[in-house]
Amino acid sequence: MVIDLNDVIPFFHWLPGALLYWLVIVAIVTGIATVVAWLVAAVRHGPIVAMRLTWRLLCGAVDDLVRMSPRRVAALAWLSIKESIRRRVVIVFIVFIVILSFAGWFLDPGSINPGRLYLSFVLTATSYLLLLLALFLSTLSLPADIKNRTLHTVVTKPVRASEIVLGRILGFAAVGTCLLVFMGVTCYVFVERGLSHTHQLTADDLRPLQSGPAGEPAGLQGYTSRANRHRHKVIIDPSGEGRLEMEQGHWHRLTVHKEGDKVSYQIGPPEGMLLARVPIYGKLSFRDRKGQVEAHGLNTGDEWTYRSYIEGGTLAAMVWKFQGVSEKDFPRGLPVEMTIGIFRTHKGNIEKGVPGSLAVRNPQTGEKVDVRIFEAKEYVTDVQFIPRQLHTADGQPRDLFRDLVDDKGEVEIWLSCVVPQQYFGAAQGDLYLRAGDASFPLNFAKGYLGIWLQMMLVIGLGVMFSTFLSGPVALMTTLGTLIGGLSHEFMFKLAMGQTYGGGPAESFIRMLTQDAVTVEMEPGLRTATAQTVDALTQFWMRLMAAVIPDFGHFSFADYVAYGFNISGDTALTFTCRAMAYLLPVFVAGYLCLKTREVAK
Amino acid sequence: MQSDVVVETQSLSKVYRDFWGRQKVRALKALDLEVRRGEIFGLLGPNGSGKTTTIKLILGLLFPTSGKALVFGKDATEVTKNERIGYLPEESYLYRFLNAEETLNFYGRLFNMPRAVRRQRVADLIEMVGLDWAKRRQLKEYSKGMVRRIGLAQALINDPELVVLDEPTTGLDPIGTRDMKDLILKLRDEGKTILMCSHLLADVQDVCDRIAILYQGELKEMGRVDALLSVRDVTEVRAAGLSALAQEELKQVIERNNGHLLNMGNPTTTLEELFLKIIHESEEHPGRRVRGVQEAQKD
Repeated sequence: MVIDLNDVIPFFHWLPGALLYWLVIVAIVTGIATVVAWLVAAVRHGPIVAMRLTWRLLCGAVDDLVRMSPRRVAALAWLSIKESIRRRVVIVFIVFIVILSFAGWFLDPGSINPGRLYLSFVLTATSYLLLLLALFLSTLSLPADIKNRTLHTVVTKPVRASEIVLGRILGFAAVGTCLLVFMGVTCYVFVERGLSHTHQLTADDLRPLQSGPAGEPAGLQGYTSRANRHRHKVIIDPSGEGRLEMEQGHWHRLTVHKEGDKVSYQIGPPEGMLLARVPIYGKLSFRDRKGQVEAHGLNTGDEWTYRSYIEGGTLAAMVWKFQGVSEKDFPRGLPVEMTIGIFRTHKGNIEKGVPGSLAVRNPQTGEKVDVRIFEAKEYVTDVQFIPRQLHTADGQPRDLFRDLVDDKGEVEIWLSCVVPQQYFGAAQGDLYLRAGDASFPLNFAKGYLGIWLQMMLVIGLGVMFSTFLSGPVALMTTLGTLIGGLSHEFMFKLAMGQTYGGGPAESFIRMLTQDAVTVEMEPGLRTATAQTVDALTQFWMRLMAAVIPDFGHFSFADYVAYGFNISGDTALTFTCRAMAYLLPVFVAGYLCLKTREVAK
Repeated sequence: MQSDVVVETQSLSKVYRDFWGRQKVRALKALDLEVRRGEIFGLLGPNGSGKTTTIKLILGLLFPTSGKALVFGKDATEVTKNERIGYLPEESYLYRFLNAEETLNFYGRLFNMPRAVRRQRVADLIEMVGLDWAKRRQLKEYSKGMVRRIGLAQALINDPELVVLDEPTTGLDPIGTRDMKDLILKLRDEGKTILMCSHLLADVQDVCDRIAILYQGELKEMGRVDALLSVRDVTEVRAAGLSALAQEELKQVIERNNGHLLNMGNPTTTLEELFLKIIHESEEHPGRRVRGVQEAQKD
């Protein structure tokens, strides 16, 4: 999972700067829009009259936006809800139920992490269905009203264009929200029931472990029965306490009942499958092979530069510096979770992990203590615990909080690869301290908040486009914006010339000539023309990338599926971002409707 | 003091252009007219003469190419003027998925009417247009005449001072037409101003105080209906109970005074009056065949 640490800035740290930035953007856009409006009017009526008309438009706009009537907006929203119901919007919910009914056929509960699979599926299915619904509802309604002239009987009442646009947005939002709530509840039940299972364990399934050197009992070991295409290893210690090992991202609680000589085992429901881990992230820096500080590690040739790598068997290391670490929050020690990328220059035993070293360092005193050597595996989230009591290489005891965490509550965690010619890679979000677990149902609801925000953006854009475009054109434009927004990162890179193979024209020539994207094109008229066309295209793409919202960024599906808590700060930040985008979209929609002739 | 002029257009012109801004049609050419408080003003003209364009400009549904349209002294694009206007479009463009009550409630809410006032008004209007029995049926199940009646009710929901009617009798049967005309006259008697356009000359003649005749976007004639229709060099005498001898004497008097007798005989009634009379009698005596005028004459 890619974690963008800009998303986890505390809300009140983020707000002032973001608000200022937003105000500046709004001021610039308003200025440009005013000049464009004046130019258009000047062409028709001359510059002086155009000034008067533009001024009147601006004053009227302020009046229309400030003096909106809640009763009228509510009436128009009610009309949109009625219209949606008439259009059999509930069919979407029925389609959703049908999809869920057949989902059991292709969702494999025996996969490596069924929880992630189920959650990804339900969130993606809900998201696509709801966005499509929002797209159709929002883009086709107003043009149909204009075409059927039903809008004539509305605009000849004391209704402001702002009320019409806002009424539509709120009405469709209400319909979408109701559907989303129903879908969310259904999905939660589906996931809970789909993943729910248990195993059987009898005394015959267990065999004694080999006794210790003094002949003391070492407990029992065995396997549970199979369910959902897996079974768990069971270890029962000599005191009679038992545990099931983690399998497919979960474990079960084991209760041992003794009645005389008879022993029975009861296995509880799966645990650890539906999580909302609360991570504390540190700041990542690198040490090169000579131990010098670097901002980035090595690139092992991957186009995806999310992770940076360090070379094994050298002084190279990845260092996470954490702040605000206190004994009060972690009384027993530091629980560390990490997902390390491994680049192997030689395979060896591919099933075997690559050894790495975990150490803790006090950033103030510089004292560093090795914790342990561990085995890193690809695609696995490794859980390590740094205990309170540690020992230096010469056997001196050290207390984690007294000796290794400095006065400001800062501590460094060092990670290095001990095998020469093997590489470890990580991004900042790949190692974190697990501060605890939040409520999963609440986190699941926050995941749906992300879908709701995406839906609101689609509705806003759809209604805005439908104020000046015909239904099908508004639909295609909104769909194009949605696709552009979902592939925003790629579009941005393309606009900034950061992709291999050039822009659209150069890529087209490469397709015809079958040239590889990394090969330089031969200098000449053809190349020069293609690159000029691309430069012009890139300007417009940069503009589009700046205007179109990054829809993918609003999705919290990965957080939920990978079991990370969506912090209140993140939820609030993204809600504000969506609303900050919606507000100008609403004003643009209002202006488009206000300045168009409804009866033309 | 309120102005006597409710609607005023000053050199109002409208040119329809295509996507590229090229002129397609010049729908209205420098129209100057005034509609005064408490009168029924009719816009007359053949199809494409600019009547509906004028109405749409006055309502702010279209923007003028040049000139001005003022309603209650405010620019036609001003939203607040609509608080005092009721509009019945040419075809009742209503939401077919709503029923009569919902429709009127919806339009009432657009006027910011409090719930209690709105409920009372909705009930009164439904009763007035005679749709009490069908108020919970969706408009898509209504006949054309019923939709027209609910359209009229929505135009009156705010008890408007100015009622704008675009082809008000279109699609109505003779009884509906008569009811509509009676209602227009009643509204005028209540002090409301009516602006209507129609190409049904008889309807306009029956109800309008003043008319404007448009042709190809230009104003051709405007004035009081009775003044415009009066034929100054012809004298009409209508009398009942004259004998054949007396009629002969009248002819002689006309000749003696160098007059020219154009016609003398029995006047005919209108088809509308005949139809309404038959319907009225049928309602009073169900099942009995109504005696036609010719049969009555035979007797």
